[in-house]
Amino acid sequence: MLLAYVLKRLFWSIPFMFAVSLVAFALIQAPPGDFVTSLAATLAQSGDVVEQARLDALRERYGLDQPFLVQYWRWITGVLHGDFGQSFEWNQPVSDLIWERMGLSVVLAIATLLFTWAIAFPVGIYSAVKKYSIGDYIISAIGFIGLSIPNFLLGLVLMYIAVVHFGSDTSGLFSEQYQQAPWSWDKFIDLLKHLWIPVIILGTSSTASLIRIMRANLLDELHKPYVTTARAKGLSEWHLLVKYPVRLALNPFVSTIGWAFPQLVSGSVIISYVLSLPTAGPLLLQALLAQDMYLAGAFILLLCCLSVFGMIVSDILLAIIDPRIRYR
Amino acid sequence: MKCKDGARIGVAILAGSLLASTALAQKATGEAPALAALVKEGKLPPVAERVGSEPEIIKPLQSIGKYGGQIRFGLRGSSDYNNILRMVSSQGLVRWDLGYTTVIPNVARAIDVTPDAKVFTFTLRKGMKWSDGKPFTADDVMFNMNDIVLAAALAPVSPRYSAGGKPVVVEKVNDETVKFTFTEPYGDFLAELASPLGQNPVLYAKHYCAQFLPKYNPKIDELVKANNQTDWKGLFQSKCGDLEISARWGNPERPTLDPWVIKEPYVGGATRVVLDRNPYFWQIDTAGNQLPYINELVAPIAQDVESLILDAIGGKIDFQLRHLDAPANRPVLAQNREKGRYEFWTANAPGGSNMVIDFNLTHKNPELRELFNIKDFRVALSVGMDRKEIIETALLGQGKPWHQGPWEGHPNFHKRISTQNLDFDPAKANALLDKIGLKERGPDGMRMWKGKPLKFKIDVIPTLQPEQVDMLQIIKRQWAKIGIDMDVNSLERTFFYERTSNANDHDAAVWGGQGSWVPGDIPQQIVPVHHDSRWGIPWVNWYKSGGKQGEEPPASVKERMKLYDDARATADQEKRRVLIAKIADIAADEFEVMGVATSAPTFGIRKKNLRNAPDAMTNSWYWPTPGPSLLQQYYYAN
Repeated sequence: MLLAYVLKRLFWSIPFMFAVSLVAFALIQAPPGDFVTSLAATLAQSGDVVEQARLDALRERYGLDQPFLVQYWRWITGVLHGDFGQSFEWNQPVSDLIWERMGLSVVLAIATLLFTWAIAFPVGIYSAVKKYSIGDYIISAIGFIGLSIPNFLLGLVLMYIAVVHFGSDTSGLFSEQYQQAPWSWDKFIDLLKHLWIPVIILGTSSTASLIRIMRANLLDELHKPYVTTARAKGLSEWHLLVKYPVRLALNPFVSTIGWAFPQLVSGSVIISYVLSLPTAGPLLLQALLAQDMYLAGAFILLLCCLSVFGMIVSDILLAIIDPRIRYR
Repeated sequence: MKCKDGARIGVAILAGSLLASTALAQKATGEAPALAALVKEGKLPPVAERVGSEPEIIKPLQSIGKYGGQIRFGLRGSSDYNNILRMVSSQGLVRWDLGYTTVIPNVARAIDVTPDAKVFTFTLRKGMKWSDGKPFTADDVMFNMNDIVLAAALAPVSPRYSAGGKPVVVEKVNDETVKFTFTEPYGDFLAELASPLGQNPVLYAKHYCAQFLPKYNPKIDELVKANNQTDWKGLFQSKCGDLEISARWGNPERPTLDPWVIKEPYVGGATRVVLDRNPYFWQIDTAGNQLPYINELVAPIAQDVESLILDAIGGKIDFQLRHLDAPANRPVLAQNREKGRYEFWTANAPGGSNMVIDFNLTHKNPELRELFNIKDFRVALSVGMDRKEIIETALLGQGKPWHQGPWEGHPNFHKRISTQNLDFDPAKANALLDKIGLKERGPDGMRMWKGKPLKFKIDVIPTLQPEQVDMLQIIKRQWAKIGIDMDVNSLERTFFYERTSNANDHDAAVWGGQGSWVPGDIPQQIVPVHHDSRWGIPWVNWYKSGGKQGEEPPASVKERMKLYDDARATADQEKRRVLIAKIADIAADEFEVMGVATSAPTFGIRKKNLRNAPDAMTNSWYWPTPGPSLLQQYYYAN
């Protein structure tokens, strides 16, 4: 039963991916102009001059003068063979550029997810069980603040305080001496020393919202008759809480995995930009700004794949922990 | 308004010989300790051999320096390659001097120009080497010109290397001499070569880059495949770069003539770029020490200007102009001077104004076109603008009313084009507008044109010079008082470019008007020959295509185009100046564009103990600030 469910989900994802790739490519092509126009604009912005003839030659070389479908076909056949094309801006193969940065993005996203869960799970339970206690009020207040402060602002303020008042180095993921060094224990420790700032910044709002969700869900469950029954039968309070209502309230946590995957790239764009983190976010943003078509296309395709994949994973997990979903 | 640089500018290239300050007796004797150690180990030839027998001798600005240290500067994101270019500077055959007044020899030791400005002979330096130690000779120039530039290998032949529509002919006289011959006079040629875009003749090392050309490497296809590229052009550019692309700084193996060479490259995943000293650099100081003094240039890559500012405050930036110089950043940078151990230096505009409004005189809508082409309409809008108020509010009091063009004291200064119709006179504005057929007003008090409410937009890029939007907002309010309904249309730069310079869909657009019409500096606001001449884009296309595309301009514009061609051909600077003045005369009669205020100086920061860096320099792309101030002779005092 479960297997059939999984297979069905996997099968439907294939045509969906194709549709998504077409939309992704169309989206990149949608703004007026192309890489060459934006190159000219960038150069003009810094007072530089480019000659029209050179631009035309570039356009022809990159095939930007071809119709949309021809360009899409070239791209998608390449992608199916594992060739994501060349980045115009870097004269480098797109695949090299993307994988270089994805590793750190994954580390950052997983660290943020763990941080979020580690805080939101116990705190959410506490604030539901001890509803309207002083602790609940304090947590709720912090939660609302966390929800309402924009990430980037928190980032800038933290950085300013760190630099001006503590003279510490906050931007980037590594200190200067470790930037080019091969991986070692010391470099890992150095990474951890830098990682906590973006993790806190990125995790604050999602932690706050998960706490609220956990609290609300648990409150619904806590007053259901089965809880009263279980309590009447003499089940210990802790055992009761963890085994039944919390398990049901867990569903939103599992659902977060679905959108956690695309967040690997897109969630941290602004924070990575502000903090100058060498993750995929800033590269994606620049690729979009420069209309570096194949690089941006590869990123967007990757994002879509990750979303689809994340959704499948979370659906399957949900089906496992909640039999109701499986048998419907 | 400060104009102290004005008087020095404009004496440029005269026909005849230019000789570098090579005292023949001078020999290189000093070198960086790290290099001396390598020489001792036998891993590097002695310094005198490395710099060759005719190195350029640089007189340090203040004092003979000491070896060591690094200059850290911030790069912003991934498309900041020209920031590296400006710091390393472009090592062309010739360069501009410190004052941006004279073109002087650089890679070439001497230059000989025939009086008709058709034949340019460059003498190279004996024993000069690429950064990998291989000799630099006339063959390299021949490779660059004949196999790349004139063969149109990577891009069509640039007009920079043509005169009268015919490309230059380059000949090798001997190993140290090359001759460039044009069929028509081309007086601006040396100034063009001195620009960062004129480095082509000495950009690529033949012994390295030839392997990426099909002509020299029959097995090029294998190399293309091995490097994951799609064609040999892609391969060539990824290995050898080009003037203005990231890949120029992406390959540590590429030999260059620069003072520093790439150690940690500028590639997609990079978080910083490091350039190490070139052991074969061909300049020495007056005491015989090989330059550069500074060991390394280190450029961390930040994405955001705010984090660059934080780096500066944290003392992690040693020298920076680009990205930091917006007036809004000045207070926070000034406040943290002690903490960051830096001081300010001044970056002066080369002249001109900070914003020029170009009405589209070639508008696609015939009614608006007719209106914009009425001179009195433009005069009315100019005198209907209270520039004093704009300067006091949007520009924080910096600058004085000005249209465009060089400032007083500059040889190219032209009073009428810079200062006519500047005084605020709403009565005159109203009278002029009433007279030309805009008397009728709508219910909102705004004027009607041909029975319809008159409304137009001015396009602007808000990120380029942020104060332009503020200025336009005030102008909008001021013009509303004389019944003119204008909207400020902020556009992302690519949209702006597409809409104005390509599609010609704009009503009007603004652009910075910095410049002083010296050779190499295109006077796009007095003659439409450039994509920034947004007052007549179809005319620009007509000019550039030799009459095949675009739209034939009116006689007055055609006359100016002819004069501009003549000026570019003239070697005699006085005659050139007169021709430019004639263009300005006609432009002043026509009054096609209007400006607001003189361009205010901006600022850079530098470490307090950095020596030999000038306190003020010109801020321009043609004089790629700070490059021509020769960072290789900067050094740290203790």
